[in-house]
Amino acid sequence: MIIIVDALNKDRFGDLLDEMFKLRARVFGDRLGWEVEIIDGREIDQFDRLDPAYVIGLDDEGHVVSCVRALQTTGPHMLSDVFQVLLDGEPPLRSATLWESTRFCVDTQRLCRDGNTMKAVSMATCELMIGSLEYARRSGISDIITVIDPVVNRVLKRSDNAPYDYVGSTKQMGKVPAMAALLDCTEERINRVRAFAGITHDVFASEDAVRDLLTARHLAESGRVTAPSDWSAMILSDAQEPLPTVLVEDIQDYCRAQIEAARTEEERADALRLVGVLVREGIHPALHQVVFQN
Amino acid sequence: MSTDLIDLGSESRNAGSFVSFLDQICARFELDHAAYAGTNPVASAVHGYVNYPDAWKRHYAENGLHRIDPTLLVASRSIAPVDWSRLDQTAGFEKTFRDARDFGITNRGLTIPVRGPYGDIGMLSVTRDCSATEWEKLSRQILPDLQSVAVHVHDTVMRSDVLSRALRYPALSTREREILQWIAAGKSQQDVGDILGISHRTVEVHLRSGREKLYALTTPQAVGRAIMLGLIYPL
Repeated sequence: MIIIVDALNKDRFGDLLDEMFKLRARVFGDRLGWEVEIIDGREIDQFDRLDPAYVIGLDDEGHVVSCVRALQTTGPHMLSDVFQVLLDGEPPLRSATLWESTRFCVDTQRLCRDGNTMKAVSMATCELMIGSLEYARRSGISDIITVIDPVVNRVLKRSDNAPYDYVGSTKQMGKVPAMAALLDCTEERINRVRAFAGITHDVFASEDAVRDLLTARHLAESGRVTAPSDWSAMILSDAQEPLPTVLVEDIQDYCRAQIEAARTEEERADALRLVGVLVREGIHPALHQVVFQN
Repeated sequence: MSTDLIDLGSESRNAGSFVSFLDQICARFELDHAAYAGTNPVASAVHGYVNYPDAWKRHYAENGLHRIDPTLLVASRSIAPVDWSRLDQTAGFEKTFRDARDFGITNRGLTIPVRGPYGDIGMLSVTRDCSATEWEKLSRQILPDLQSVAVHVHDTVMRSDVLSRALRYPALSTREREILQWIAAGKSQQDVGDILGISHRTVEVHLRSGREKLYALTTPQAVGRAIMLGLIYPL
């Protein structure tokens, strides 16, 4: 099943995103050897700080088995900022109806582990492709430019989802080559992938259904994993370490999350008061004032 | 959906022309109201244009609703259009729209977030008072065009100061230029695809990108502007 996680619902699905960043670390860092930064077992880059949308695939137990990241091409994205070499020095395409997709990956390890064959991998891959194309299509997007390696390119072709063209040329990025491919978000393409995989059902799960699944999974797991009993001791021992750098964006995100998560007026007032204090201390940037002109 | 939109890129830009452009958007897409808000960090300016009734604008300003309105604050962080039904659980929504009915304003609407290259963000919000089914059908139908229109308004507003205009000189790729050059020579998109040995879809995606980079809504306008800027030759 597929769920879209973006800035609007990420507070509800922090655990899902964390698992996704770990999957990306295993796939792009360990397996493919891309030159990505991995901190604490998670692969997170500058574009993850730009409020992208993630299309995330889950198995029936609620484990993340696939993911891809989408950004608008009108703003900062990978092809305009870090993958320009793929475009032979040409400026990137920029269009309101063109999204960029990056970090497409599938957890082959998990999908194959219970004696499953590549069939499970293929199904998860197709479900992710269908989810991405349908999400883009219903957002009014006509085309997707996707940064992929030749392996994913072959997977796309094999799934009756071949790119209709490429922009720029294939270039060695670190240990592996990368390329920018174009996919249309037409019903014909979606139907082709659906037919190939034999998927006729709605691939999207509701936020509530996914949340319930995750809660059930965590409950089941908490029986097996013993939690550290004394948190205060852990925090005290950590106090010797140098303090981690906290970004302004993190503080803003935190404050926004607090305000949005407030359930009562008091909670909301408290959250706003915190922002006020942080603004006064120069820790949080001043809030934008929207002024309507006529 | 027959009315054509006047291309903002060629107009002398002032607040009046933006508001009348919002009126055109409403007329063309069968909408009640439209609003644009955007921040330009380069010029450290905030812009807002609406064609809501004056009474609602006053009420909105007097009550400081812009500080809690989730159709502004929350929607801007999405990459996809945000239907307001996705926001109605948030605290600010109920407060913002509680009195809206009295002003003839519906809470059936959507916001298209736009991100620009220099950290600039914009939002085009549109509303229509109608049944849920009708809204579902209409929004699905108009979204692709509305996406382009939102970026068009945003780019034009963001270019309204000299510094931003200099920064936003259209950066066309070789492919985008050669396609526009063949179109200027009178070739159809199909012809251009055949001449360059690329698919019709590739021509289309580059043409659309070139058009938007030139701040044009139509291909003839884009061709004219590309010639004016010396990016292609007049034939």
